[in-house]
Amino acid sequence: MLKYLARRLILTIPVLFGILVISFLLTHLSGDPTDLILPPDVTEEARDAFRKRHGLDQPIWVQFVSFSTQALQGNFGDSLRFHEPALKLVMDRMAATTELAVAAMALTILIGVPAGVVAAYRRNTPVDLSVRGTTLIGQAMPSFYLGILSIIIFAVWLRWLPTGGRGTWWHLVLPATTLSFQLVALVARVTRSCMLDVLGQDYIRTARAKGLGETKVVWLHGLRNAFIPVLTVIGLQVGFLMGGVVVTETVFSWPGVGRLAIQAIYARDFPVVQAIVLLFALIFVVVNLIVDLLYAVLDPRISYR
Amino acid sequence: MFSQIKRSIAAVALAAVLVGPAAAETLTIAQNFDPQTLWPNGTTASDNLNAGSAMVESLFWQDPRSGEIEPLLATGFELETPTSVLLALREGVTFTNGEPMNADAVVHSIGVFIDKELTPAYAQVAQAFEGAEKVDDLTVRITLKNPYPPLALALSQIYVVPPKHWEEVGLEAFGQQPVGTGPFKFSEWVRDDRLVMELNEDYWGELPKGIDGLVWRPVPDDSARVAGLTTGEYDVVKDLPVAAIPSLEGQEGVTLVPVASYRIYQIGLSSLPQHESPLQDKRVRQALNYAVDQKAIIDALFFGKAKALNGQVLREPQLGFNPQIKDYPYDPEKARALLAEAGYPDGFEITFKFPSGRYAQDREVSEAVAGMLGKVGVKTEMIALEPGEFLRQLRSKELAPMYFVGLAPQDDPAFQASQYVSTWRYTTIANEELDALAEAGAKEMDLEKRRRIYQDMMALMHDEAPIIFLYQGLDLYGTDAKLKNFLPRGDGRMFFYGVTYED
Repeated sequence: MLKYLARRLILTIPVLFGILVISFLLTHLSGDPTDLILPPDVTEEARDAFRKRHGLDQPIWVQFVSFSTQALQGNFGDSLRFHEPALKLVMDRMAATTELAVAAMALTILIGVPAGVVAAYRRNTPVDLSVRGTTLIGQAMPSFYLGILSIIIFAVWLRWLPTGGRGTWWHLVLPATTLSFQLVALVARVTRSCMLDVLGQDYIRTARAKGLGETKVVWLHGLRNAFIPVLTVIGLQVGFLMGGVVVTETVFSWPGVGRLAIQAIYARDFPVVQAIVLLFALIFVVVNLIVDLLYAVLDPRISYR
Repeated sequence: MFSQIKRSIAAVALAAVLVGPAAAETLTIAQNFDPQTLWPNGTTASDNLNAGSAMVESLFWQDPRSGEIEPLLATGFELETPTSVLLALREGVTFTNGEPMNADAVVHSIGVFIDKELTPAYAQVAQAFEGAEKVDDLTVRITLKNPYPPLALALSQIYVVPPKHWEEVGLEAFGQQPVGTGPFKFSEWVRDDRLVMELNEDYWGELPKGIDGLVWRPVPDDSARVAGLTTGEYDVVKDLPVAAIPSLEGQEGVTLVPVASYRIYQIGLSSLPQHESPLQDKRVRQALNYAVDQKAIIDALFFGKAKALNGQVLREPQLGFNPQIKDYPYDPEKARALLAEAGYPDGFEITFKFPSGRYAQDREVSEAVAGMLGKVGVKTEMIALEPGEFLRQLRSKELAPMYFVGLAPQDDPAFQASQYVSTWRYTTIANEELDALAEAGAKEMDLEKRRRIYQDMMALMHDEAPIIFLYQGLDLYGTDAKLKNFLPRGDGRMFFYGVTYED
């Protein structure tokens, strides 16, 4: 088990390095940050001074070598716009993003899984149909649209909730719901189909024959066996969540990493973009490692050596 | 739920009002971006400057109500010689940390302003400055490299910082928590969330009435800013989308403040020899001007609230505006005739580049122009560009032969004119006469002569038609109707001098 863990952790290093290379190249190929950060009528002299100050006058491979050696030590350089360490800018906003992501994930699991189970158990009844209908809409509706729509309904018309910003629990409601909406739909659908499969299995019939109550049959024997694919989907969707915060945070003025990412990309603020990409990649890798380890907890037949 | 909470808070607030003195309002201001730095000379981005200059003041300021450069920390200046300026400072002003605002502070601040390393964004305005020295406690002598007509404008962009504090904390930290002489002082800044300022009770001048503080909120989404204005969460909203005009116009408790922007929108028509196209011919460039109906664009895409250009790039209040010139009338027949005369009776095909997402309605305007040109036989191959790529191509002249652009130079005819000089980085016209006029205007110190020079230049440009003259941009602000005397400037700058909040 420990050996497996060590091997997986070592394997993440080339993954992260690959991401480092790709994100570096993509950002540097996308244009010159001086064009976006300085006004267009600035003298060429001032432009050169800016490039020199941020090392942008060096050949790209020199920039890459110095960037990657620094990055390995956790130093992504200073933001071109904020003149502060890029990693600090990201970490300062991480709490807000974590709050939003955790709330969205909690909603996903607390709503998505039970909805899927109930839909499967009551297959082809109105309950099932309404779950399937709602999830279809949920998966089809883009989150920026859903976000604006919910602002108009709940903040402007009903005046129940604030239009944006972070502060109280009320501020969290709309962004977390918006961010989780597609995920709830996806998780409900996956749970439903896995449960349908499991509920037809012999061991379910055996459990019932033993005289176990329906609740135990469905939630313990059924869900536990159906949960592995659901867990895989949830793990993979952490990536989706990271992308989703970019849109949701922008719509709801949420002071998190996603919004910083958008601004940094538009301004070609290379150090910040790279820090965010690498951090998100790291989170994705770690979460999926945890998911892999959870398989063994759920299914004792799985063991890692 | 939230409304109930708000109501109970309101009840508590009301109780406080009933017992306490007249309550003042804390204004919540929603802008597009969180500032990067609160040191105003750190950038030229209006969102930064608006917040920063509420705390750190400049020597002079340009009042949007009059358009004149008015005294602020300096009370006036006079020219000893064409290249030596005596600056008189206001007496009895202190920074909020107790340092005196005097000649030492101003000499220090000018030194920072003209340092290209520290203030690259101001390099163009600052390049005529040689240095500054203290004459006495309230007088500073500024030395210029050459006579400089836009001097007053440059002085309105020099922000005065306390030298001791600056030396102690350095530029970066100063930008995070500035100390100035302004009507407001720094209180708290949670990045990307809120920037809080409280009233500077010891302010040297008159404080805005009925306002006890400012909260700046970055709200990047257009619709969210509109929603927040509607619900009363924001008292001032900058950069409202044009599409929100109809829904906000009838809204109770909300005042719409349309401001004619300094940004001049135009279609660049390259006549540089390296950009071969039918646009080399002046008649073709004029024909395209006749073919475009600016009025229709303004009415349809800006609800009639943007301003026409009068066939020139200088705006009406600016020195050098030529009242003789009018916009090219919309006349497709004349356009076709001119095209035929130039040898294109059936029109021609041309690429047309435009940014998507950089300016308000950029794609819509470009499509409208393309449609109008199509009617006189000019078929455009439209290429939409991401804003960053657009700027890169603008500077490397890769947008030619034809491109949509909005240019917002500093508010002096010299800066407007210099954009059409052959040596300018992204100009796409090379005309010796135009160059000579721009050069003469940039040096001429006599006001009337200078006006004449630019009027001649505008007339020549109108005839040469290096661009299709489109419109002056529209900046749309919305405020709580109780806020009075609030008038932003055409460069996206808002000030709180003379503003009142009346309950």
